[in-house]
Amino acid sequence: MKSAKWENIFKGWNRSESDTVLTLKQVPVFKDFSDKEFSELEKLIHHRTYSNGDYIFKNRAPGEGMYIIMHGSVKITIGTRADNENILAELGEGDFFGELALFDDEPRSANAIATSDADLLGFFTQDLMTLQERNPVLGQKILFNLGGVLGDRLRGTNSLLIKAQSTRPN
Amino acid sequence: MINSQPNYFQLIYRIIIAMIGVWFLSIVWPFISDVVLMLVFAFLFTTVLLSSVDALERKIGSRGLSVLAVVVILLGGIGTFIGSFISQMSQQAKEFSNRIDKETLTQEFKTLGEKFTSAMPEFLQNMQTSNGDMASKLTELINTIVGSLASMAGAIGNFMFIAAMVFIFTIILLAEYHGFRKSLVNAIPNKYFEVGLKLIYNIEKSVSSYLRGQFLSAASVAGMSVAGLLLLNLFGANLTLTFFIGIIAGLANLIPLIGPFVGMIPAILIAFMNNIGSEAAMAHMLFGVIPSPFFILDIILMFLVVQQIEGNLITPALVGKSVGLHPMIVMIALLIGGTILGPLGMLFAVPATGVLKVILTEIAFVRKNAHLL
Repeated sequence: MKSAKWENIFKGWNRSESDTVLTLKQVPVFKDFSDKEFSELEKLIHHRTYSNGDYIFKNRAPGEGMYIIMHGSVKITIGTRADNENILAELGEGDFFGELALFDDEPRSANAIATSDADLLGFFTQDLMTLQERNPVLGQKILFNLGGVLGDRLRGTNSLLIKAQSTRPN
Repeated sequence: MINSQPNYFQLIYRIIIAMIGVWFLSIVWPFISDVVLMLVFAFLFTTVLLSSVDALERKIGSRGLSVLAVVVILLGGIGTFIGSFISQMSQQAKEFSNRIDKETLTQEFKTLGEKFTSAMPEFLQNMQTSNGDMASKLTELINTIVGSLASMAGAIGNFMFIAAMVFIFTIILLAEYHGFRKSLVNAIPNKYFEVGLKLIYNIEKSVSSYLRGQFLSAASVAGMSVAGLLLLNLFGANLTLTFFIGIIAGLANLIPLIGPFVGMIPAILIAFMNNIGSEAAMAHMLFGVIPSPFFILDIILMFLVVQQIEGNLITPALVGKSVGLHPMIVMIALLIGGTILGPLGMLFAVPATGVLKVILTEIAFVRKNAHLL
């Protein structure tokens, strides 16, 4: 039986660094990064291990940052009970979620639950602020990329809205 | 009724555990207090130097070399300061001993005693012992100070050992800080991960902004003291080592409440040593009204003005907001720190209370939002 707590404490002992960088390279928030920038980012990234069914965060909980899925899968839901659970998204390796918390102090707008044993990478507001102090150019690059990701999501939402309005019966 | 029973037992259980913890700490504390103190010092130095090491690491790409460079620059600065201070101080002492003999010194003390006594109101004069007694007491005091210098050697040896250990701990922490921090963060359970991360970040921020603010205000006290002493020299105070006196006053200022007064002592001693035997200095009047032999009252007034500027203008802007503690809490913290660890305790009392405040705020936040974690 795998214990998430002990996995978190000892995971650094046999972790392959290239795995982390390979995962980070799939994330659009970190696009156009040089190898040196990835190694600087890697120093700040947090590795977390979750067991199947573990909450990564709960709806309305205070949010501190984003997660990237290195291994395993995660579902994003609203609703607290199995009977009223509404799955908004099912995410797999290389996907990321919770990035809005990097920008604002608003609570989480959904639950994130591991649907298998999962290894996640965490990047948090504090890390972004540290990076902004230590390497402002890199910090700005992340903010710019995040802006692009949020812009894409907004465009996606807009087109869904337009589609929904156009299919609505008059 | 059914629900209250488990809570009651839980409370007793917690109290017993807390009492066992306090008892265990009181047994162990004498053995670990020195190491804890060294680690706290090392952590504080690391917090101050970390940003310089990080900035240098980005430039030269090697953590080890960055730590080495920062440490060498720091040690070089401290070494140069102490070395030149000792050499100039011994030069000053040599000149003083050449210039003065015991009879003159006793006579000067006697005249000084008379000056102070005559400046006091009549009811206070009646409470004083005779001038001759005051002179002999002051001479005795100086003899005692000289006599106790030998016993200070042992204390200096102990201090050197502690300083060396703090230095080693600081180097290790500077080199491995981010790794240690990451290990600490990794040990936080998933449920409390984001809250724990925020807590660590807030503690770091609180300590580092407090320390930076304190060092900036110490630097401002040093600068203003040097300027003030040079100004007094324009009026014939004949003060030397002004740069060193200013830096000592700035460093002493780091210890709240008593520090500013400690900072005055070297200036008063130098004024006394340089002006002894000078009739003009002995007859000096502050603002031409209040007798101020050897410019002692001028020096005290100058330091009081510096402290007022620092305390009312500079510190509130630089330090006050960083910790955000009520002055009453600061006073209580200083008293507790001073009782437990003496002047060192007073030095750490405010940042330690700031850290405690951050921890309690986060605990309150976690309790309020426990259902969401």
